[in-house]
Amino acid sequence: MSHWVLGEFGSDLALVEALRVLRAQGYQRLDAHTPFPVDAVFEALSLGRSRLPLLALVAGLGGAGFAYLTQWFTNAVDFPLDVGGRPLHSAPTSLPIAFELGVLSAALMIFGALMVLFGFPHVTHPVFDAEAFRSASVDGFWASVLVEDAGDGLAHVEKLLRDAGARRVAVVVAEAGT
Amino acid sequence: MSQVDPQVPAPGDALVTHPLLTGRHSDAEYSESLLAYVHAPPTRAWWMLLGVGLTGTALLAVAVGVTLWVGVGAWGNNIPVAWAYGITNFVWWIGIGHAGTLISAILLLFQERWRSSINRFAEAMTLFAVTCAGLFPLLHLGRPWKFYWLIPYPSTLRAWPQFRSPLTWDIAAVGTYLTVSLLFWYLGLIPDLATARDTARTHRARFWYGLASLGWRGSARHWRQWRTGYLLLAGLATPLVVSVHTLVSFDFAVAQLPGWHTTVFPPYFVGGAVFSGFALVLTLLIPARKALGLEQVVTLAHLDNMARVLLVTGWVVAYGYIQEHFFAWFSGNPYEQHVTWAQHVGPYAPLFWLQIFCNVLVPQLFWVARLRTNTAVLWGASLLVNVGMWTERFLIVVSPLSMDFLPSAWAAYRPTWVDWSLLVGTMCFFGTAFLLFLKFVPAVSMSEVKELRREVDESERFREELGGAP
Repeated sequence: MSHWVLGEFGSDLALVEALRVLRAQGYQRLDAHTPFPVDAVFEALSLGRSRLPLLALVAGLGGAGFAYLTQWFTNAVDFPLDVGGRPLHSAPTSLPIAFELGVLSAALMIFGALMVLFGFPHVTHPVFDAEAFRSASVDGFWASVLVEDAGDGLAHVEKLLRDAGARRVAVVVAEAGT
Repeated sequence: MSQVDPQVPAPGDALVTHPLLTGRHSDAEYSESLLAYVHAPPTRAWWMLLGVGLTGTALLAVAVGVTLWVGVGAWGNNIPVAWAYGITNFVWWIGIGHAGTLISAILLLFQERWRSSINRFAEAMTLFAVTCAGLFPLLHLGRPWKFYWLIPYPSTLRAWPQFRSPLTWDIAAVGTYLTVSLLFWYLGLIPDLATARDTARTHRARFWYGLASLGWRGSARHWRQWRTGYLLLAGLATPLVVSVHTLVSFDFAVAQLPGWHTTVFPPYFVGGAVFSGFALVLTLLIPARKALGLEQVVTLAHLDNMARVLLVTGWVVAYGYIQEHFFAWFSGNPYEQHVTWAQHVGPYAPLFWLQIFCNVLVPQLFWVARLRTNTAVLWGASLLVNVGMWTERFLIVVSPLSMDFLPSAWAAYRPTWVDWSLLVGTMCFFGTAFLLFLKFVPAVSMSEVKELRREVDESERFREELGGAP
């Protein structure tokens, strides 16, 4: 059974230092939990660039293209509508809706993709089993390490966290698949 | 220009000279003070205000009911003034929403730090204002239950909407604006809802905030994606906010009516939107910061900045007025000239001069630094700007319609009690939604304030290293 070992630090600097120590010791399945985004933590965990902009671009262009084609098809092909002799299809009048639908599709994609990436909604994540973990959204800077073996490994990680200056340490059982 | 390392704050760092956060507080203290009124039971004043708001919302319900039962005939609209209050209120409310998006999105892209304490507040305002705005064109349809005819769906009528009309563009613009504003607001809110969950005193509060925060646990991986997503949404909202009021102005500018058919409308409408929106933010923020004890995070520096924005956008609006007059003269078109001239001396002249007073003269107060930080002056001025901008929208909609090309068709417009009830009712609905927002949601973004605290500390430390040079 695998476990999350959680350690709470008093500041972002202490957390970054602890993450460096853990990585140097060969622990790879690390995460951090902070009340606000900390750039140094991203660097310490070597988090790569987000793919979100690409997804948003594809969704935005797709939405805009769909809107443009719909306007062309409905007003010029399927039901030609002559309004005062103006052209049945004209780009300038199709652009506003194409733009709006492009923005809408990109925004929905961003939000939807974030929810999928986060695995949200997920209100019963094992880290919430530790009562002290409540401080992660207030003023606690938590490091978490996923440890596979239950024996000496756990104690070793706990000791590492305490040595790095953790003021509280907690162990929770990881659910399958996390 | 001298070379400046972008990583190094300049000696005259604005974060130090104009503190955006006053006093020293720990992260825990910020969480506690910014959530204090969320977790505390509501005060008597809150209940009383809510009572007023709900009474007004009931009036709104009655007015909507009468409109649905009787039809648009219950309004004061006539021919030629077919648009009147409905569209005036629509344009005014939509414009108010724009300040929220400007503060939260455009200032985020410009990396203006003073947005951090007021963005949540202004975004909530956007949501409620756009909701109020959407009601008017919907009711104005006459048969609101057929609104879906404006959306292209394969119907048995085998007809499609006419997409070369700005009215169909409006549906796309306002719908997109409401959706994107909601997503942006909620995404920014998730981390703070988690803080509310983790500091909740009752089991029930913990349960509901737990559900609303969707299981946010502040993971670094999440924060990284969250920040990218938030920035992207801001990037999308920025052209969106410009496009929405541009499309609203097309409703007028594309028509051939004298007084409407002009190219200055899009920038003039967007400028006016930001102007009125900032005014309403100030109207609500000044009492709220006092009542909720937010003076330490919403400081005089914020108010000063907003007063400057009022001054600048006030001049954008004034420029619009000048252009309207210039083009009326330059066009050589007698109808155009008549509509413009009749505004000064005709039946709506008092409103025209009220508009000039509120929108052009009043903002000039803010050339004086002392007045920009005087909350009483600022609050009074912001109210006047709200009045002035509503008057402007009214004049734009009604005065050209009431005197078009054919003098025999001219008619004056008089609002009925239903018109007034809809206007007052939406204000009360807005107020009610706002009170609920203040009670249930942290009005200032805690995660951003904590981040800002770190930046201010760093700037101050750097200044000390420089030996306190000014």
